[in-house]
Amino acid sequence: MLETLHNLAVGFSVALSPSVLLYAFVGCVIGTLVGVLPGVGPLAGISLLLPATFGMDATRAIVMLAGIYYGAMYGGSTTSILMRIPGEAASVMTCIDGYAMARKGRAGAALAIAAVGSYVAGTVSVVGLMLLAPPLAAFALRFGPPEYFALLVFGLLVLAYMSSGSMVKSLAMAALGLLLGMVGIDQMSGYFRFAYGVVELGDGLGVVPVAVGLFGLAEILATAGQRVPPTVIKPRLRELLPSRAEWREAAAPIGRGTVLGFVVGIIPGSAHVISSFVSYALEKKLSRRPETFGHGAVAGVAGPESANNSATSGAFVPMLALGVPSGPIPAVMLAAMMVHGMSPGPMLITQQPALFWGFIASMYVGNLVLLILNLPLVGLFVNLLRVPYPYLYPAILTFSILGVYAVNGSVVDVWIMLMMGALGYVLRKLGFETAPIVLGVVLAPMIELALRQSLAMSDGHYGIFFQRPIAATLLIVALTMSLLSLRTFIRRGLDWRARMALAEKGES
Amino acid sequence: MLARALTVLALIAALVLPAPATAQEPFPSRPITVVAPFPPGGVADLTARPVAAAMEKVLKSPVGVVNKTGAAGAVGMQSVAVAKPDGYTLLLALSSISIIPEADKLFGRPPAFTVDQFAPIALISADPTILVVPADKPWKTAKEFIEDARKRPGQISYSSSGIYGTLHMAMELLAQAADIKLRHVPHAGGGPAVTAVLGGHVDALASGPAVVLPHIKAGKLRVLGGWGDRRLAALPDVPTFKELGYPTAEFYIWAGLFAPRATPEPVLARLRAAVRDAVNDPDFKAAMDKQETPVTFKQGEEFQKFFEADARRLAEGVRKVGKIETK
Repeated sequence: MLETLHNLAVGFSVALSPSVLLYAFVGCVIGTLVGVLPGVGPLAGISLLLPATFGMDATRAIVMLAGIYYGAMYGGSTTSILMRIPGEAASVMTCIDGYAMARKGRAGAALAIAAVGSYVAGTVSVVGLMLLAPPLAAFALRFGPPEYFALLVFGLLVLAYMSSGSMVKSLAMAALGLLLGMVGIDQMSGYFRFAYGVVELGDGLGVVPVAVGLFGLAEILATAGQRVPPTVIKPRLRELLPSRAEWREAAAPIGRGTVLGFVVGIIPGSAHVISSFVSYALEKKLSRRPETFGHGAVAGVAGPESANNSATSGAFVPMLALGVPSGPIPAVMLAAMMVHGMSPGPMLITQQPALFWGFIASMYVGNLVLLILNLPLVGLFVNLLRVPYPYLYPAILTFSILGVYAVNGSVVDVWIMLMMGALGYVLRKLGFETAPIVLGVVLAPMIELALRQSLAMSDGHYGIFFQRPIAATLLIVALTMSLLSLRTFIRRGLDWRARMALAEKGES
Repeated sequence: MLARALTVLALIAALVLPAPATAQEPFPSRPITVVAPFPPGGVADLTARPVAAAMEKVLKSPVGVVNKTGAAGAVGMQSVAVAKPDGYTLLLALSSISIIPEADKLFGRPPAFTVDQFAPIALISADPTILVVPADKPWKTAKEFIEDARKRPGQISYSSSGIYGTLHMAMELLAQAADIKLRHVPHAGGGPAVTAVLGGHVDALASGPAVVLPHIKAGKLRVLGGWGDRRLAALPDVPTFKELGYPTAEFYIWAGLFAPRATPEPVLARLRAAVRDAVNDPDFKAAMDKQETPVTFKQGEEFQKFFEADARRLAEGVRKVGKIETK
């Protein structure tokens, strides 16, 4: 413990040196911008800036790249809340309740809660990273395909909790999403599925174009189609900050999101996306008023936003402790380390203490920088909503198209986004929710790959899921959960969801 | 106001981006783009960037790198295959350039591109893969590994960067040479494949040396053999499969620079000369040293021969693997 404190002191001496501090700040600013721009996520941001760090000192480079990563997680919530456009994939859940809050005039509160939640999650999870990295990394390695599959089954369960209306409609949308997720190369046999000769479709439908289309474009189209133009929300200064009641509602979800995000983030795979989904479902399950979800529930913003930030720290655990990339973003950062002549691996912490502890300390500093940067920006961002729609929406449309194109330089992605926008508009008119589609598109390829890898490992025997303790435990918990929800369903006949659907029917 | 300003900015950007094409001017008179068909941070990207930087110095004209990713590299490679053959669009390809058209043929689909659509400029690096196993597995030598695999066909598993990917083909070439059957568990990229072998979820992996050397040094992985035609400088005690009597188990993860086939000869000559000078640039050498990737420079006839022999071996390998029946 004492040694850790000593090391941390060394780390802070590195992190607080003016030049490193400057790069942490620059990274955070760029990250926030990258997160705010629709479509452009942290991966694109880091990738674009990686070459710019080649000439830099290694510690500064890594600190800056990490700043972009968690800065993007902060920034990603902004457009989700204000315009229902996810800045990056992990902010998809925030679109649902964050935007609903904004429609009710609580945009400032939602942004502030997202920022504070991200700060708490970022800081607490760095403590976890600092104290527990080596043992946790060993745990992370025990997650092979069967364990990942079991975890993703949890992700699938989330689907049932997604809707605030009719269960049948939301499951239909989930199925559509899973189907769309089937597009692309079959990882196990090399077949192209549903690609129709378009090579770009080999990688499937990207989450970001799909989400920006279904949420953002559909929203814009729907607004444009209203007979009476919507009134511009003019937030007052007093309303910028969350009320005491809102803070109270946010506290527990932030705590749970932090722990959940960190644990899920450690697991190799695209875990930060999953963490926000699972957190949303958890909050809805625990909430005393699940019917408020989808209509501006504070917990629906606080939980997922904390979870995705916490997951970024979690993702650094295997990267720093073992030199193992836990996802595409840590992989780029590992490459950056190699470019700077460090061989990432199990020996990194002992061989490069200044880098490791400087990095840890810079994350404490960076999270604080982000909070200071983001809270005053809340006022500025909220004022964007004052812009009349005839100007605001075309501008958003332009940025969405530019952003989605910029990530892969692919026009196919732009078409996917536009088509999804049209689809989202139609579905909206028919009273379907589109969030389950996005979840399906995210989960389908992951769950399929994990399942089939597991079966390749076991030569086709399903027993593999129950012979491995972690996988078996996760699956049994998932099974119990679904059985439990079935029980209430049978006993009460109508749960809140069915009542809501009936009420909706009455209205229309 | 802000929104309007932003719209104007976006419009300006849209107008400026497509550079006007002009004919008959000294080469290069505008920026050259090197397409890396894989995501940033991978071998292709980490080779392309230092090469581009060094070429920029030689040509005294900007050389940029664009990551055009997708479909295991096919998207980026295809984009260069059909690019305007003016020398301003180049490709930094890996061994998979010879594999993808064969796999397309296997499935009877129209090929995304063929190797004859490219004119080779230079080979920049060629790193043989090495066979690693988790340190707690029983095999101490390649011989033990192969004998055990022969006794238990299809029981020893290995991870790879993806089906018909480079790491898959390396292992298949060994399996075919030694007449053994292994169990393939494809992963979505080289990173996850290394994670899988470190976690003991699979028994073996053919990997580029640089990414696994730290784990070998830390005692987590054991190295049994190499696919090169001679031993690696970093691992002088590790025999090659060639030495062990499997001469067809030869495989390199190589990186080379290509242009579209119809690029005019004078332009190609200028590019070849530029790369020749670029690889001697001290910054370039330092960048490659840091990644522990030795530079293997080949040009002209020599590269052509290497490329053709490699393509033949891989095509043969893909054909022998055939279509995969999954359960």
